Amino acid sequence: MGLRTGIRMGLIAAIVTIFLILIGVHMLMGRLLQSWFRVPAHWPGVWLMVVLLGMWAGSRAVGQMKARSWGNALLAGASAGIIQGALVGAALYLLASITQAGVDLRTWLNQMSKESIGALTLGFAPLPAAGFIGGVLLVSALAGAAWRERRLRVRAARLARGERMISLREHLLEIPAISQVSNNPLSRRVLIGVFMVLLLIAPFFLGQYWNYNLGTVGIYVILGLGLNIVVGMAGLLDLGYVAFFAVGAYTMALLTAPQPHHIQMSFWLALPIGIVLAAVAGILLGIPVLRMRGDYLAIVTLGFGEIIRILSKSDVLTGFTGGPRGVRNVGHPVLFGKDIGNEFYFFYFILIGVILAIIITRRLEHSRVGRAWRAMREDEKVSQAMGIYTLKYKLMAFAMGAALAGLSGAIFASRNSFTGPEDFVLLVSINVLALVIVGGMGSIPGVILGAFVLKGLPEMLRELEDYRVLVFGALLVVMMIVRPQGLWPASRVQLERPRPELAEEVEAPAELAEGEVGS
Amino acid sequence: MALLEVHNIHTYYDHIHALKGISFELDRGEIVALIGANGAGKTTTLNTISGIRHPREGSIIFDGQPIHHLPAHEIVQLGIAQVPEGRKIFSRLTVMENLDMGAFTRRDRAAIQEDLERVFKLFPRLKERRNQLGGTLSGGEQQMLAIARALMARPRVLLLDEPSMGLAPILVESIFQTITEISQQGMTILLVEQNANMALSVAHRAYVLETGRIVLYGPAAEVRENPQVRAAYLGEA
Ligand SMILES: Nc1ncnc2c1ncn2[C@@H]1O[C@H](COP(=O)(O)OP(=O)(O)OP(=O)(O)O)[C@@H](O)[C@H]1O
Ligand SMILES: [Mg+2]
Repeated sequence: MGLRTGIRMGLIAAIVTIFLILIGVHMLMGRLLQSWFRVPAHWPGVWLMVVLLGMWAGSRAVGQMKARSWGNALLAGASAGIIQGALVGAALYLLASITQAGVDLRTWLNQMSKESIGALTLGFAPLPAAGFIGGVLLVSALAGAAWRERRLRVRAARLARGERMISLREHLLEIPAISQVSNNPLSRRVLIGVFMVLLLIAPFFLGQYWNYNLGTVGIYVILGLGLNIVVGMAGLLDLGYVAFFAVGAYTMALLTAPQPHHIQMSFWLALPIGIVLAAVAGILLGIPVLRMRGDYLAIVTLGFGEIIRILSKSDVLTGFTGGPRGVRNVGHPVLFGKDIGNEFYFFYFILIGVILAIIITRRLEHSRVGRAWRAMREDEKVSQAMGIYTLKYKLMAFAMGAALAGLSGAIFASRNSFTGPEDFVLLVSINVLALVIVGGMGSIPGVILGAFVLKGLPEMLRELEDYRVLVFGALLVVMMIVRPQGLWPASRVQLERPRPELAEEVEAPAELAEGEVGS
Repeated sequence: MALLEVHNIHTYYDHIHALKGISFELDRGEIVALIGANGAGKTTTLNTISGIRHPREGSIIFDGQPIHHLPAHEIVQLGIAQVPEGRKIFSRLTVMENLDMGAFTRRDRAAIQEDLERVFKLFPRLKERRNQLGGTLSGGEQQMLAIARALMARPRVLLLDEPSMGLAPILVESIFQTITEISQQGMTILLVEQNANMALSVAHRAYVLETGRIVLYGPAAEVRENPQVRAAYLGEA
């Protein structure tokens, strides 16, 4: 019944809300909004959090109800809102009264400053302030409940009609304007064109800091697209991907820097050499290790990644690699006699790299090679029986992925003017893998989104200082719960979700046979 | 000269001696049944022919050419297609994509299209379901898909590994009917089965395998009448 779930959810939401207020999260939200959208005060962020928590309570209460009716939904929303509102209001009344009496709560709760409570009372006396926050929570809970009920109804109607669950992308496509644009090749091109123009002029407005950060995101997009070929498309778990990034970076560094060698080659020449050497490294590593499967492959590649890093910092090789101190004064690209090695130009340069990587990936996806990868990822033995020379296609995946890593590594070294062993720790491989998974394996927009979330978001959260990692981690957890297939799953993955109309006619126990599959 | 000749092959899984000197042959257009209990080495025999495993001793001659040292993908190209045990279709590819993978080694688009039509005529159910994911097909449909996929390679020899496994009796019957049909179109078929009764009723000749050795062979009708076979594989005392 609506009342029961409403009361339960109201209690839970009240506890969560009070807890968040006590540790000062509402102030963090306020500061974040202030810095992201340049709002002049922190109250919009503070109250956005309050409203969202109210909506959450109402929506969850409706979601947990068994019997579906609008009456029930309103009852659930109202009871959740009243309970949450009353308890939070009471808590605020207490906090505000105590503060008003001149007691400094920070002695016990170090986030409970006067401003922190003031952001919630908005300068009113404790009683009306408590009433106000209670009212806001109630209204939000009702809104949340109504929204959830409508959504559940739409979804139930869909299932009844035999349609499958739909993804975020399909939701978007249901909006008439969007579906028109995406179905019409011309307007689609126009849209992409507008987007490109926006990207092209962005560096003029963003300033040094964001140009640099966006460039970093771009470097990770290239890395992500490369690893996506290996892991997402060919199904080979490579945990030492950073090694190829390192090969690209060190090639660029050693060939263009004045120390430790005096080659000082042009950036433009070193770039393709870095890409080719990385691809060669991919093949050389691939030949021995690609006969292994799954977890063995993961462990061996992980080891390889570490070996490259340890070699680059070893004393024996210091004369050749620059050792632990790395290589300084890595060459910059020079165009028409002008050094274009700053964030601004690199932004464009990386953009070209990203576009190139997207084109390569798309081409591969629909090619014969792409089909072979897909089949191998499904079942290697059967693929061989289909006449696929799996080792060859695995090597191709490794080489392509490594080449893209080499490209981004070379750009990375030149942009930083420096490269050293600590740029290539295991964490880089893990980050790239994480962004592929968070974004949606095998999906190009997914990888791009993933790079923004994993490399861009932490920068955006910088305001939060110590809380940054906490909030970032919490966001990742929430994301993986809400969208386990990734933020923007490949259309192939979406196809794989069960469709109710297919479940009907099963004439023989297919699962039974699957259990006894031989070699 | 036979189309496929297997001479005294020995295949090992590390130290396990799975095939202990097996010899047999397939003539053009024949259905040859290979029957035997669980673990007799039937699948191993097929995998050794198709190049997924390699014999330590012995030779396999296909159309006059030794193939026992060739990798699997080259053997497919020469014209030997295998329908793996347990209908291993690509469950997350659609029916069309599965069939497409069957024709992976071929480049003759027009002929592939022709074969697709032919396969759909053989299995109309697959045509209806061509955009469905393989894994969502019923057991019988999956077996059809596995056979259809192998046919897409336009093989000269078809290796069938237990096509009746896990299927209801009516379906078994219809699958075997299709096998006969394929054979009548001129295909040479090596049929591995535990359902000896069914296999012996469609095959021309048969070999009985027991723990890695061939213990009996002859025309299918004769093998069927053999008292030992009747006792061991046809469930008669
Ligand atoms: N991958 C493997 N590793 C080790 N031993 C294996 C492997 N595959 C098969 N064997 C062994 O080789 C022998 C023959 O197996 P095979 O799969 O060829 O039998 P089968 O006749 O196909 O049996 P079934 O009718 O149960 O499919 C068995 O003893 C089996 O245990
Ligand atoms: Mg078997």
